[in-house]
Amino acid sequence: MPRFQPLLLAFCLFFLAGCHREASDRVVIRIANWGGAKEGNKFDQTVAKIYDDFQRENPDIDVREESVPDEYVAKMSLAFIAGVEPDIMMLDASSSALFINSGMVTDLTPLIEKDKDFRLDDFFPNVVDIDRRGKALYAIPNDFTPMVVYYNKKLFDQAHVPYPTGDWDFEKFRETAKKLTTPGDPPSQYGYAFANATSQWVMWLWNNGAYHVAPDGSHVSGYLDSPKCVEAVSFLADLVNKDKVSPSISQAAAMGVDPFANGQAAMTVSGHWSLLGYDNAPKGADGKPKISWADLGVVGLPHNIPQSQTVMYESGFAIGAHSKHKEAAWRFIKYMTSHRAQIQYQEGGIAVCGRKDVAAERAKASKLEAEFLPLIPSSRPPPGANIEGYEFVETQAQSAMDSILQNGRNPHEAMTKAARAIDREFEKK
Amino acid sequence: MTKRVMGWLFVGPALLHLFVFALLPMAYALYLSLFKIHLVRDERHFVGAFNYTYTLRDSSFWNAMWNSARYALLSVPLGMAVGLGVALLVNQKIRGITIFRTLYYIPSIASGIALSMLWIYVFLPQTGMVNTFLGWLGITTKTDFLNNVNFAMGALVVMSALNGVGPKMILFLAGLINIPNELYEAAQLDGATRTRTFWRITLPMLAPTTFFVMVTSTIAAMQVFTPVYLMTKGGPEDSTDVVGYHIYREAWVQFNTGLSAAQSFLLLAAIVVISAGQFRLQRNQLKGYAAA
Repeated sequence: MPRFQPLLLAFCLFFLAGCHREASDRVVIRIANWGGAKEGNKFDQTVAKIYDDFQRENPDIDVREESVPDEYVAKMSLAFIAGVEPDIMMLDASSSALFINSGMVTDLTPLIEKDKDFRLDDFFPNVVDIDRRGKALYAIPNDFTPMVVYYNKKLFDQAHVPYPTGDWDFEKFRETAKKLTTPGDPPSQYGYAFANATSQWVMWLWNNGAYHVAPDGSHVSGYLDSPKCVEAVSFLADLVNKDKVSPSISQAAAMGVDPFANGQAAMTVSGHWSLLGYDNAPKGADGKPKISWADLGVVGLPHNIPQSQTVMYESGFAIGAHSKHKEAAWRFIKYMTSHRAQIQYQEGGIAVCGRKDVAAERAKASKLEAEFLPLIPSSRPPPGANIEGYEFVETQAQSAMDSILQNGRNPHEAMTKAARAIDREFEKK
Repeated sequence: MTKRVMGWLFVGPALLHLFVFALLPMAYALYLSLFKIHLVRDERHFVGAFNYTYTLRDSSFWNAMWNSARYALLSVPLGMAVGLGVALLVNQKIRGITIFRTLYYIPSIASGIALSMLWIYVFLPQTGMVNTFLGWLGITTKTDFLNNVNFAMGALVVMSALNGVGPKMILFLAGLINIPNELYEAAQLDGATRTRTFWRITLPMLAPTTFFVMVTSTIAAMQVFTPVYLMTKGGPEDSTDVVGYHIYREAWVQFNTGLSAAQSFLLLAAIVVISAGQFRLQRNQLKGYAAA
């Protein structure tokens, strides 16, 4: 045993030395986002490289990423209540109201004013304003996306249907989708792939001349169940149930893949993030991907009003109110939103960069990217950027849509029921 | 050391655990139920019994209560029948019977989360086990059981009945083993059939066990949470929004802490009333058993 004593001592000293270095030399900053498990794909590798580069240039900072793929808002809120929220939290515009209005995140204005190298003018002003309250700013935009109609040019060409332009209404959309749906039950190809998440169809209500929440955000009755909203919801439900130009929820689930990415649907409505999946589309019998970016076109949503409208989902970097390392956190945010980090980060196609220069460079390099930019001015933030608890609206509206699609409920009754449930919830606040 | 002190030393740790992890949180929850609270902003206003009166008028809470009652009414008898059936099967004097007993008990020691995840696959619309079996029988429905308002609750009930078979089997098995053999011998001499023996001897002699299993299963059914959280999230159309899940959402998603605390006590009251009712209904039968 005595022979091993020096070894044991060295072993202990080694660990103690490690602990000492960890505790005194390096500041650990925790960064939370709603991403899932790492898959080791190109995007994950890029993010890991950006983190590594930052840590190399800032050897006093140790970056720890915490992915929270489910119930992000609830988990961040509970961490805040316990005083242990991450130093940096990604804010999703769909739910940022709770974070900002409840003081969960820090006003970044003092840090911005102190930092001579940081220019807020580099970012799209309407995107920056999503997380602004008066003079206070609570997040620096990472990226954003307007919701758009993607169409598969190959399938349009095969059906001899002209590509859609921004000048189309609901009926034109229905006719186009019908022409692109092959005969058969179920058809081998659909004109449209409808997604039932509220965040992916709420803009249809706006484009029918309605808005689903009262202007002061206090209630939805009279709005979500208004004739115009119900009309838009009925139109979408008819696409699935009556016209059968879109797979039903069950059929889509049974396919096990995104029908649009699989080349089985000619159009879909989604955000820029879908390009990540379209870049890794399933391969056909010939070994080639079923779709590629070159096959895609982007256009604004059909509109029964003079100008097409869409929603702009944004993510930004915010600093937790209890963070003890605000200075280090700011250095990280500044780095992540810099031109050199963003040019790498956005390369995979996850979103439109919050920085004007990077967005412009990417638009210059890619025709597909350029098609997003004209849609930005008419995009508006999701109501969750201003209304606390907006997630409940989304949950109830989706449940209503599901009940119409899957259980044949009457659209007016389903939306009225959802509106009442939402108002009951709002009353509790 | 006196016997009295020894006794306290033995029950002390359990009492401490009960006080710290059950009674104290319950008392605090009762206190919270009297306030309107914004947990994130740390704001609280005393509202007295408002959270209780509001909840009693809230149709979504009554919908959740009804769902829990439906779940209990369906899953408890079915689960007990399956548990008793399996107990009768494994109460045979054959070689290797302990292997079967162990196999039937294994799901009970598995994680509820893992089991729920497994059952999601069982109920999948296209490739799920149920639809595959139906397909073999020539019924090609491709039903999305967990998203269909007509099937979602049934799917949860089936899962619960099959998952909870272990503990019920053990309890029924203990009850079966304790039935004196002379009773069966006497029945055999009198020429009683197996069915008659089951209804006239086995089932009456199992009355205390059956009662215990029924009460504990009902309490557990009224508190069900994990499979609902993982498999249906209370949907579709709130058809599986049971009270346990409803309280969770009220507390940790909507942050209506005071309301959720009040709802917890209303659930407790409902369970006490149901259990008291069960005791009352069973009193005569148990008296008869005691007399025997």
